[in-house]
Amino acid sequence: MFSYDDGANTHPSAETGFLSRVLFSTHHKTIGLQYLWLTLGSVLVGMVLSALLRIQASWPDTAIPFLAGIENAPERYAAMRLLHGSLMVFFVLTAAPQLGFGSFLLPLQIGAREMAFPALNRLSFWMTFASLGGMTSAFFLQPDMGVDVWLVSASVFCLAGLFSALNFTTTTIELRAPGMTLPRMPVTVWAWFINAILSMLIFSVLLAGCCAVLSDRLLGSDLFSATAFLAHQPRNLVRQGSLPILWQRLFWYFAQAEVYVAMLPCFGFATHLVATFSRKPVWKERLVVLALCGVGVVGFCVWGYHMFATGMNPYAPLVFAVLASSLGVPAAFLLASWLATLWNARLRLTTSMLFAIGFISLFVAGGLSGLFLARHDTARASVSEDFVIGHFHLVMGVAATFAILGALFFWFPKMFGGRLNETLGKVHFWMTFAGVYAIFMPMHWLGLLTQSHLFMEEQRAALASAGASIQTFVTVATIWTVSAQGLFVFNFFSTLLGQKKVEQDNPWAATTLEWSVGSPAPEDNFGGSAPVVYRGAYEFPAEDGKDFAPQHLSPEQLTQERH
Amino acid sequence: MPSATSTKEIELIVEHSGRGGGGVSLPPAGGDGGGNGAGGKKPGKGQPSSKRYFTGIAVGIVSILMFFMALASAFLVRKGTSGDWVPVHIPALLWINTAVLLISSGTLELARKHLAKADGAGFKMYWMLTTELGVGFLIGQVVAWRQLAHQGIYLASNPASSFFYIFTGAHALHLIGGIAALGYVARQNFSEANVTRSVAAEVTSYYWHFLDALWLFLLALLYLGK
Repeated sequence: MFSYDDGANTHPSAETGFLSRVLFSTHHKTIGLQYLWLTLGSVLVGMVLSALLRIQASWPDTAIPFLAGIENAPERYAAMRLLHGSLMVFFVLTAAPQLGFGSFLLPLQIGAREMAFPALNRLSFWMTFASLGGMTSAFFLQPDMGVDVWLVSASVFCLAGLFSALNFTTTTIELRAPGMTLPRMPVTVWAWFINAILSMLIFSVLLAGCCAVLSDRLLGSDLFSATAFLAHQPRNLVRQGSLPILWQRLFWYFAQAEVYVAMLPCFGFATHLVATFSRKPVWKERLVVLALCGVGVVGFCVWGYHMFATGMNPYAPLVFAVLASSLGVPAAFLLASWLATLWNARLRLTTSMLFAIGFISLFVAGGLSGLFLARHDTARASVSEDFVIGHFHLVMGVAATFAILGALFFWFPKMFGGRLNETLGKVHFWMTFAGVYAIFMPMHWLGLLTQSHLFMEEQRAALASAGASIQTFVTVATIWTVSAQGLFVFNFFSTLLGQKKVEQDNPWAATTLEWSVGSPAPEDNFGGSAPVVYRGAYEFPAEDGKDFAPQHLSPEQLTQERH
Repeated sequence: MPSATSTKEIELIVEHSGRGGGGVSLPPAGGDGGGNGAGGKKPGKGQPSSKRYFTGIAVGIVSILMFFMALASAFLVRKGTSGDWVPVHIPALLWINTAVLLISSGTLELARKHLAKADGAGFKMYWMLTTELGVGFLIGQVVAWRQLAHQGIYLASNPASSFFYIFTGAHALHLIGGIAALGYVARQNFSEANVTRSVAAEVTSYYWHFLDALWLFLLALLYLGK
């Protein structure tokens, strides 16, 4: 299990050229930070796009860049939604928690010097970057060509995701420091590991789907395309447009599990932060890890429930509804563990902790509306655009963003040395927290009120006018929330440029290995030899009654240090 | 909750990895107890374990398998729901190709046996033969495609032919990767690398045998599912 190749992969020193230091460095911390920069760019653009989309929905007459120019064609609106979704899902929710924080922290948290395959790690970063370029340029192309470029970019992203997943899995299995047994791994490492296995399985499915669609579009093959098929079908089937369902199935096979790919590392962050700032061990840590595995397995199996809206075998919905609802079991257990850890604890309400608690709140709120969608009969009533958008933005988009922000506040000293401003951070938190609820809660109502399939036509018309005011409210809340992010951007860059060295190496009194070395983390991680791990990752308080016991100190060293 | 027992456990691990208690002192050369070939050349440098390559290839194989499973399920669903399915009769040449690929797996194992006995010439001979058989399989596949094209069966003809070309093409792409790996193992000078030639050969052999088995699966799917 253990191999610490000290010096085998030396980080190029500052004297080496820009190219080898930045573009071709295979060092895991450099690559991790590059992923995070990529995420920061994507999330800012994605957010502005969402505000533009909302403005267009509420006040259709306003001139909006990229929408008004090309005769306000509906395709442009669709293309903008696609760009917003692609940026957020691929380059924020998938890239940041797993690839960004994971590449930076995984070797540090398991006591390794590097990832198992550093060059592969570099390759996946550049492929991700290329894919970002491709998806963005697809937006500016004619729809037909844009779709092809988007599909190629998505395939490249899948390949990059597969390479990273292979890297993460192998690193976790093979490169753990001596003493870092499986039960002693931090929950974050568990989450990255389970997530890597899940990505391994689903990204190859999406890759297959993309390749097949591309072959249909470019080479004229007949895997999914409807032309020849429709000619042989009875009329009533043609009207339902049943063939694209095959592509949809493959796509949702990926996309439903993709939700958990984004969420799993966030569960890890939340568990880690809640334990550290409650100064208590994770409640039932082993069961938490099992629950994470459960989320992975069930998440992999529930693709069918996206098909309720498109129609499938009448017996299948029952199976998938049971599966989808059974996701509630591991999710509820995770929630129980977080609450039990928080219970009766001397909480340290740092900004990081606030974001972790905010994550839990949003996860519960968004998860509850998921229950409506998991049953196929209630789904029929509630499957309307606004309800679904409200649901998945709360539970996936915003909740995951909160976990990412919490993690960023927590690990910022490890990455850059300084510490983000706490007061600014807290103001930013409350403004955002209020803002996102004000956006997405009314959106659920909007979905139920105005678009439900249960109302009669004339009833719906009456309700639609009532819905207009909700629409405007949502748009105003969106603009408020987007502008609140200016605070964060200011906080981030002013701290980065001010660059005050943090007072201690371990400002949060945390236990895991990355805090046993300096902040920012030294280039060679643990120097010449691997650290040795003596205990689990959440020893709050320590056995001798002290506040905490770090993983890397032997019992003798621990007593020495305390005398 | 870790107690006295887990501390003992740790000491065992620490001892095993040849380090002083608590990681305070650093021994000059750190073999990590696995003992797979090539002792430490430079003092103070641990020899990275080669186990990662085996884990890596195993994980990689799983995801490649998943890729083909997705296409296979699309194949079955598409076939079941369409009225425009015109079965493709597999060219007889494919059976010969299959035999060639199976034989190549055998020669690969023979090559590895010679390598284990430190018989460099024997290894080279059988390794080259494996590579040639692999290339032969690819050429055979291309000829089979041309035979089909001669009968007027193209990629775009109908769903069955589309799937036939996609399956064989995707498998051929993966096989080209395998041939590249074979060439790398034969040509690379391993004296400076992290792994020995035998490790590289073993990892490559897993991939090659996997492609072999995958081909049998695809052939069965195309033959029985037509």
